[in-house]
Amino acid sequence: MKIRFWGVRGSIPAPGPDTIRYGGNTSCVSVTSASGGLVIIDMGTGLMHLGNSLLGGPFGKGQGRASILLSHTHWDHIQGLGFFAPVFVGGNRFTVWGPGPHGSAETLEEILEGQMDPNFSPLQTLKNFSATFDVRAAANGQTFETEGFTITAREHPHGTTTALAFRIEEAGRSFVYASDVGQPVEGAPPSPEAIAFYRGADVLLHDTTYRPVDQESRRNRGFSTYEDAAAAAVAANVKRLVTFHYDQDFTDDDVDTLVASCRAALDARGGTAIQLVPAREGDELEL
Amino acid sequence: MKVRFWGVRGSIPVPGKATSRYGGNTSCVEVRPRHGAPIIIDAGTGLRRLGKHLMEEAFRDGLGNASILISHTHWDHVQGLPFFAPLYRAGNHVDIFARQRDLHLEAVFSAQNRAPYFPVPLSAMQAEMRFHEVLEGSHFEIGTAKVSCTRLNHPWVAIAYRVEVDGASVVYCSDTAPMTEVLLGEKFIAKAPSIDEPLPSDVAAELAQMRAGVVHLARDADLLIYDTQFSREEYRQRPHWGHSHPDDAIAIAREARAKRLCLFHHAPARSDDDNDKILAQYRQVITAQHDTFELHSAYEGLELVLGNE
Repeated sequence: MKIRFWGVRGSIPAPGPDTIRYGGNTSCVSVTSASGGLVIIDMGTGLMHLGNSLLGGPFGKGQGRASILLSHTHWDHIQGLGFFAPVFVGGNRFTVWGPGPHGSAETLEEILEGQMDPNFSPLQTLKNFSATFDVRAAANGQTFETEGFTITAREHPHGTTTALAFRIEEAGRSFVYASDVGQPVEGAPPSPEAIAFYRGADVLLHDTTYRPVDQESRRNRGFSTYEDAAAAAVAANVKRLVTFHYDQDFTDDDVDTLVASCRAALDARGGTAIQLVPAREGDELEL
Repeated sequence: MKVRFWGVRGSIPVPGKATSRYGGNTSCVEVRPRHGAPIIIDAGTGLRRLGKHLMEEAFRDGLGNASILISHTHWDHVQGLPFFAPLYRAGNHVDIFARQRDLHLEAVFSAQNRAPYFPVPLSAMQAEMRFHEVLEGSHFEIGTAKVSCTRLNHPWVAIAYRVEVDGASVVYCSDTAPMTEVLLGEKFIAKAPSIDEPLPSDVAAELAQMRAGVVHLARDADLLIYDTQFSREEYRQRPHWGHSHPDDAIAIAREARAKRLCLFHHAPARSDDDNDKILAQYRQVITAQHDTFELHSAYEGLELVLGNE
């Protein structure tokens, strides 16, 4: 499988000369199977650029299909949807797998529909998409097969709510996407269930929104530090750790420092064999 | 007054190397009277950086006042609001003005700032927020500034604002299609209509009235900020999207006898080099036409000082 980063930033897009190297688009990652199956994870502003790149292939002719995995519905994970060109080409088919009702009476489809409300979007409703857009709930612990992958969803704590993490497997290779995860108690170790979910992954992409110093002033926002990510990677004995979902205020130099600190945190915990890969817009990882 | 641009982009923020000079943040302009609180026009992602800047002043201590004029509530004009730091400090006052909708404005903004879209509900933000519903034709005062507004040609309707203070005037006209070929309102238009057909007389009259309102609002303005998301050719392909082009902006500036025209709301795909070329091209056009107004293209950090110093 091939993983590509289209948006690596958290909370709000952060354009500017200081964010060019890592990128300022909000969360979006694509995963392509050996046979060309496409899974998209999260729909931040990076999704627009992924969409534009797809138009040269079957999606430009209305013959494309993909599954979209949605960790949760905070703006930075859905705000690219209205700018995803393939949904305006009839014949394309999308299946969205995301969180079911959780402390909310709204279904996932109603939540996505709310983004297109005419007060906010000229699209007015999801019904104005030309492509087929099938929205389904992925329950905690549910495993499903799609686009040539076997995918398991797992709920993680995220501030006052939860976000889904996904484990994506193909031909003995595994990629875990765990963005917007934050332990409810500061510095608490990840749960045994979470570690079991990450166990032995070829790639663990983990939320690294903060440095420990940021966490002190931003309690309960539901994000992790690079220390949390390093601890999870070592405990689960993964092969590669990807840093992701950088704070909107971090410059490229700040992220360089965060990555170096994460390396040191891995080493200090006995994770010297774990390869550290900072997520950067446009970079690809082959498994 | 000083006018400073914090976000100049339309539709969606576009970070990256190709947009780093003009900037990738969505619409936000600060109007700063010589004495008095900032008047902010639109709350795109540029508002986040403006908020950080304001937190270095009275807002840090919960003693700040700001007004935000919203042209309309499409995402690229409101998406910075949840990240406006002064809202999270008790004691600050933020007045928000926007056009009246079927739903009360506070309900519209509450729908943006709530679970499952955003972790902090509007009601939990510590600053005091007051919502003011306005309509085209409304006049009101903010401190010593006089504000007036008129309707624009945009899906679900946007309004333009004129702010007068310190003997100077700035007019913000975004988002709008030219007020000549297609009348845009609450109806969803799926496919690009032809713009070469003659218009029914009632539609033509409504557009003409809207255009006269914009020219009147911009009359003798020291600065006219105008939606030029499209080139003329792009506009022909998407006349129903509610955005205009530099030829239309120049025609309005000329008729209104504005002193400066600023191209604004750049398309997401427009690179810095594209914007340089458009500006150079239209500076030649206005020189050839003997127009007397200055032509600018908005970029993040552009600051213009207008009126009495």
